[in-house]
Amino acid sequence: MLEVQSLSVAYGSRAVLKNISFDLPPGNILAVIGPNGAGKTTLIRALTGITPLSAGQIFVHGRRLNQLSVAERARWIAVVPQARNLPPAFSAWETVLLGRTPHLNWLGQVSEKDEAITRQAMARTQTLELAARPVGELSGGEQQRLLLARALAQAAPILLLDEPTSHLDLQFQLTLLDQVRSLANEEKLSVLVVLHDLNLAARYADRVALLVQGEVRALGPTRDVLTPELLSPVYHVPLEILRGGPGNLPYIIPALR
Amino acid sequence: MNPARPYLIVAALLAAALLLSVGVGSVFIPPLVLLQVIAAQFSGQPLPPDITPAFATILFDLRLPRTVLVALTGAALAGSGAGYQGLFRNPLADPYLIGVASGAGLGAVIAMSIHWPYTDFTLLAVPLSAFAGALLTVSVVYMLARVGRTVPTTNLILAGVAVSSFATALTSFLMISSTGDLRRAIVWLLGGSTLTGWQPVIALLPYVIGGLGALLTMGHALNVLQFGDEQAQQLGLPVERSRRLIILAATLTTTAAVAFSGIIGFAGLVVPHLVRLLWGSDYRRLLPVSMIGGAAFLLLADVLARVVMAPQELPVGIITAMAGAPFFLWILRRSKQQNYW
Amino acid sequence: MKRLLFAILALTLILSACAPAVTATTAPVIKDGLGRSVSLPGPAKKVISLAPSNTEILYAIGAGAQVIGRDDFSDYPEEAKKLPTVGGSMGKFNYEVIAKLQPDLVLASALNTPEQIKALEDLKLTVFVLANPTVLDGMYANLTTVGALTGHAEDAKKLVANLQARHKKVADALANVKDRPKVFYELDATQPTKPFTAGANTFIDLLITLAGGSNIGASLKGDFPQISQEELLVQNPDVILLGDAAYGTTPEQVAKRAGWNTLKAVKNNQVFGVDDNLVSRPGPRLIDGLEAIAKQLHPEIGPALAATKAP
Repeated sequence: MLEVQSLSVAYGSRAVLKNISFDLPPGNILAVIGPNGAGKTTLIRALTGITPLSAGQIFVHGRRLNQLSVAERARWIAVVPQARNLPPAFSAWETVLLGRTPHLNWLGQVSEKDEAITRQAMARTQTLELAARPVGELSGGEQQRLLLARALAQAAPILLLDEPTSHLDLQFQLTLLDQVRSLANEEKLSVLVVLHDLNLAARYADRVALLVQGEVRALGPTRDVLTPELLSPVYHVPLEILRGGPGNLPYIIPALR
Repeated sequence: MNPARPYLIVAALLAAALLLSVGVGSVFIPPLVLLQVIAAQFSGQPLPPDITPAFATILFDLRLPRTVLVALTGAALAGSGAGYQGLFRNPLADPYLIGVASGAGLGAVIAMSIHWPYTDFTLLAVPLSAFAGALLTVSVVYMLARVGRTVPTTNLILAGVAVSSFATALTSFLMISSTGDLRRAIVWLLGGSTLTGWQPVIALLPYVIGGLGALLTMGHALNVLQFGDEQAQQLGLPVERSRRLIILAATLTTTAAVAFSGIIGFAGLVVPHLVRLLWGSDYRRLLPVSMIGGAAFLLLADVLARVVMAPQELPVGIITAMAGAPFFLWILRRSKQQNYW
Repeated sequence: MKRLLFAILALTLILSACAPAVTATTAPVIKDGLGRSVSLPGPAKKVISLAPSNTEILYAIGAGAQVIGRDDFSDYPEEAKKLPTVGGSMGKFNYEVIAKLQPDLVLASALNTPEQIKALEDLKLTVFVLANPTVLDGMYANLTTVGALTGHAEDAKKLVANLQARHKKVADALANVKDRPKVFYELDATQPTKPFTAGANTFIDLLITLAGGSNIGASLKGDFPQISQEELLVQNPDVILLGDAAYGTTPEQVAKRAGWNTLKAVKNNQVFGVDDNLVSRPGPRLIDGLEAIAKQLHPEIGPALAATKAP
């Protein structure tokens, strides 16, 4: 369970995130959306302690984040970054195994349990057959799934994903997020996913936070936030919501001119 | 792949190189005689009368200490090189990137420009000065590169290049202003031990053991660091602390090696690279295998330096540089074929 | 019984009287050029020379037969070339070969680095460093020292006397010479716009002065400074001595250099090659160098000098 209270981040005099508060209960997926430069990646960095806060607090299961050691934080929070510039010579197996780092001693000695967890994480993300292959030979989609497996191997109750679908084609976008959804449901993970694609947010998120210029302009259940009234001014594009199709999901499209 | 295989191979290479280094020299000592001399030393018996006593001097006062010194130096350079390559995530990083070589060179040349009286203490002037020069230079680079509490990699490289250029310029100036010691400086800068006997070995040993030992414990950390500082921290690695330890261990080891053996290039570059190509990038394996392989490599280069123009002796840095050139051309060719580093 | 005792006593006395004769040739403890105290149990019989000047000195005082090894650069006299070499080029000596030769004295010079001296000491060898002299008396002192070390004290004394006599001959011959030509000594002109010459603290400078000339390099700073071509043109020396003649520089080449043909020395054909070894090696041949330069600067004293021949 992650609680964020009045989080602010500033680079010098420039405020990047202002007074952000929300929490992430278990089993819940929160999608963070917003235009470019809104501060979405900075938010993830702040949540993992990489970027220091200029104000506010982050609580992980009741404890302050900045009082936890780096390894402890990694046992609570796992991140799935964008799959970019991965060291090509590592094998898929080695990469996912590194997810066990916060549970290993400083020499990195690996036990059978660590290997079992790694195997399980790869099975869940359908990456087990890639195990022996070097990461450099894998496609963008496969690499992204591998990073998800790695985050799962971390066995952390809180999962943060930073635009995990940006470089994936449609099939893999859906596969990945399907897996995230089932993980949230089954393992009761608290999930925060930064998304660019409003429709993916509509399809998978329980709640949506609309981040604009560092501020949370709206936070609430998906159907409450994904409305043309809130979104059109932010994206400067008139939007329409269509409903229909399986599950009566909302589809957000730009209005025809 | 059998996990023991890389170790067995480099250990075999090292054993062969050790034998060659002890057996080969400008004075030919038949292998049988060598064994007799060694046996006599360990059993405390006097040498058989038909063996020149000079052979014992040559073996125990010249060849053995030189062999150990070169092996330690090779291990130090290759091990630190592997550490630097992991730290900077760049296969072209070598132990001299952040100023060790230029600083040591400057220190050594400064010491050589002063005409010390000939005492036991002042004979240490050059290695001590080289050591101090290297540490000072790296400290300056580190401080220049620091941003708040972190030391970003790019800054380190930029500061390293800037400070190294400055130190090298100063060194060149001192060299041309000197009247007689120019050649002494050039020989030192080209690399190869100018010191004989067991003293440099004893002086170097604690640094190599301590530094390389510390590096060996950072194998896992280096693996994690390959994913970038951000991901490494998110995976739970204390990034700044790890980087500091790696820089400290690698720099100290390299500095000590350079202080006694001059600036030998390419050993810290070629060996880890070759090991990585053959047996992968797992730093828990790359570090120790590089160290053993580095010792073997430098020993072989040193043997070549002694025999290729016998009885004259080339500075070993020339041999390693000549090995480096074709090696990198080969890497270039492979990289063109595979588009892969 | 008494006669036996008396015989023993007499024998002991006779023997003790002989003893000093055995120890009479012991060299005392001498301080070498680095301030090290060196002692030898007797005259050195197996000497290795680490510098060409040392080799020349050894042969000149008659100790040639005692030399068992030399550095790569020793090339005079001819006999020296036949000796085994022990290194020196590439800045490194071959300690294995030196150890194998088992010398009882290694004669080093200021050219050898402290590391090299220490390495030889570590091999338990006796090393003597001959200091670099800056005046002729210093060179004579070295001759005397090497004479003492090798048991040729008398020969060294005779040699010194002979060299001093030749020097005096040159000085006398120059006594009535009024002019003092300006001399440019060229060490290296791979860059003809900035050739290297000899400065004030060198033997080259000393010999030029003793030979009745004036070294224009003396006004520059440093021992082996570079002179700009402009400065050279301003100084306009009367004589140019080519110390780089051994590397192929000839007066004809000099005349072809751009701008050099306007120099007085070139126009008057006063450009001469010199054997650089005669003026840069601090040994007895410095006197040969003195005579050679004196004759080039003042050809008129040639006949007076010819009366003395070098030994």
